Amino acid sequence: MSAQAGTVPRRGIRVDSRLRATARSEWIKFRSVRSGPFALAATALIVVVGAWLLGDSNRGSYLAASPAGKAAFDPVFTVLQAIELAQLFIGALGVITVTGEYTSGLIRGTFVATPQRAQVLAMKALVFAVVVWACCTAMSFAAFFLGQSVLSPAKHAGIGDPGVLTAVFGAGLYLTLIGLLGMFIGVVVRRTPAALALLFGLLVVLPIVFTQIHGKFSSNVGEYLPGNAGEEAFHLLHGGAYALGPWQGLGVLTAYVAVAAAAAFALIRRRDA
Amino acid sequence: MSRSLAAPGAGSAGHAAPAAYRRAGATLATEWIKLRSLRSMLVTPLLGAVASIGLADLASKNNAAGWTHLGAAQKAQFDPLAINFNFVIVGILLFGVLGALVVTNEYGSGLIRATFAATPQRGLILAAKAVLAGLLSFALAVVIVFTAFFTGQAIISGAHAPHVSLGDHGVLGHLMGTVYYMTAAGLIGLFTGVLVRSAAAAITSMFGLLLVLPLLADKIKPDAVTRHTVPYLPLNLGDEMLHHHPGLSPGTAVAGLAAWVLVLAAAAAFSLRGRDA
Repeated sequence: MSAQAGTVPRRGIRVDSRLRATARSEWIKFRSVRSGPFALAATALIVVVGAWLLGDSNRGSYLAASPAGKAAFDPVFTVLQAIELAQLFIGALGVITVTGEYTSGLIRGTFVATPQRAQVLAMKALVFAVVVWACCTAMSFAAFFLGQSVLSPAKHAGIGDPGVLTAVFGAGLYLTLIGLLGMFIGVVVRRTPAALALLFGLLVVLPIVFTQIHGKFSSNVGEYLPGNAGEEAFHLLHGGAYALGPWQGLGVLTAYVAVAAAAAFALIRRRDA
Repeated sequence: MSRSLAAPGAGSAGHAAPAAYRRAGATLATEWIKLRSLRSMLVTPLLGAVASIGLADLASKNNAAGWTHLGAAQKAQFDPLAINFNFVIVGILLFGVLGALVVTNEYGSGLIRATFAATPQRGLILAAKAVLAGLLSFALAVVIVFTAFFTGQAIISGAHAPHVSLGDHGVLGHLMGTVYYMTAAGLIGLFTGVLVRSAAAAITSMFGLLLVLPLLADKIKPDAVTRHTVPYLPLNLGDEMLHHHPGLSPGTAVAGLAAWVLVLAAAAAFSLRGRDA
């Protein structure tokens, strides 16, 4: 921390410059493997093309729907729904950002270069979150505008309508949190297949299991599953017994991410690489 | 074919190629050793079987528990076989992922290069893997399907709700159809694994293709294009085969699943010949 570098050469470097260097090395690792651009391109393709397909097909079904069906029609969620498929790619990207390094053995080089493992993980998560958030928010806006233009003359939403801007930003935040959840699960599990199975199990298998079990308990708890809660972020209409709003839903998902992050930070410091 | 390597004068013919059936047997033995020595190939099927059977029993118990309180219309719709086998929609994921792991594990560790050096006949290796993955999927499916059936129906009959037995009309066909569907999912996973060569891509593809994409595509209103594509996704074919919706005939659904396996097998065989290991 002091400037007497000449006399105590092994005192170490300043924290902020180390963090900057770590962030740079994490960025180089992120952009130099093929999976990053591939997963982001697949997500963009699915979300934007999905918005067009879903908007196009729902325009006709909306006009033919009953008054009750028209009232329950959510023009924002309808066109952003393809995120349910795209989240697999973003989640997988989060997982392999970590497990890929364990598989190739690069993680040992990383930890030799920066023995402050918590700082490595923090910078890795930060770089990942910034890149994924920027891309996913951009594609969420693109999907929204494309989908709404295809939806009209059926019920559609303008970006200035109440709650719409929150929902469109919420979609980008949702995907970012899913990616981070995958990343922290990857740190805990360290193996690609197991981490993917755990993440996808939480996101897509558990909600289906809960719909197969009837009863008050199951339907109430089901709303608090990470995927179901987080998806409220890009709903305009909120149904269900507890009716989580967009920010409460994102809050529940963030709590899952925080638990995974706590486990990841605790384990990465104690275990072998 | 009948050339014997054990002939006394084998010294001069030492470089003759082994008989095809011997090579096939040796390849099968190699693949079997690799398969059974992977810990994930023991743990994953066990956990998956326990989870599938548990889910089938849980759904049976949960649905049959309220039988006496159901209205007449709901009683008429009560389908003990469908309730028992609702888990299949997520159960096939286990098979897709297992099939993919058979091959992507080998690409991940680099063992595939040694495999191809030992047996340059890559098509033969693919065939051996397909035979073993198919048998493994079939055996696992039989265990899961029949255990889930007997325990699930016992639970339903214990709750004094209507239940079916193995001899009832269409029941055995339903169970064997489910086994076929699960085995096909295992092979779809295997060949997808060969095509994409990485565990991450293969597992993501399985969850996307077998579960999420069909659920999403079902929400799109049928039009000229989707009417002729969406019903042919594996999940919808499996559904058509097992439940008699007005749509594709069960025979078409069976053939459709076979077509998925065969087309992916051809693509995998083709890509395996042309690409680096």
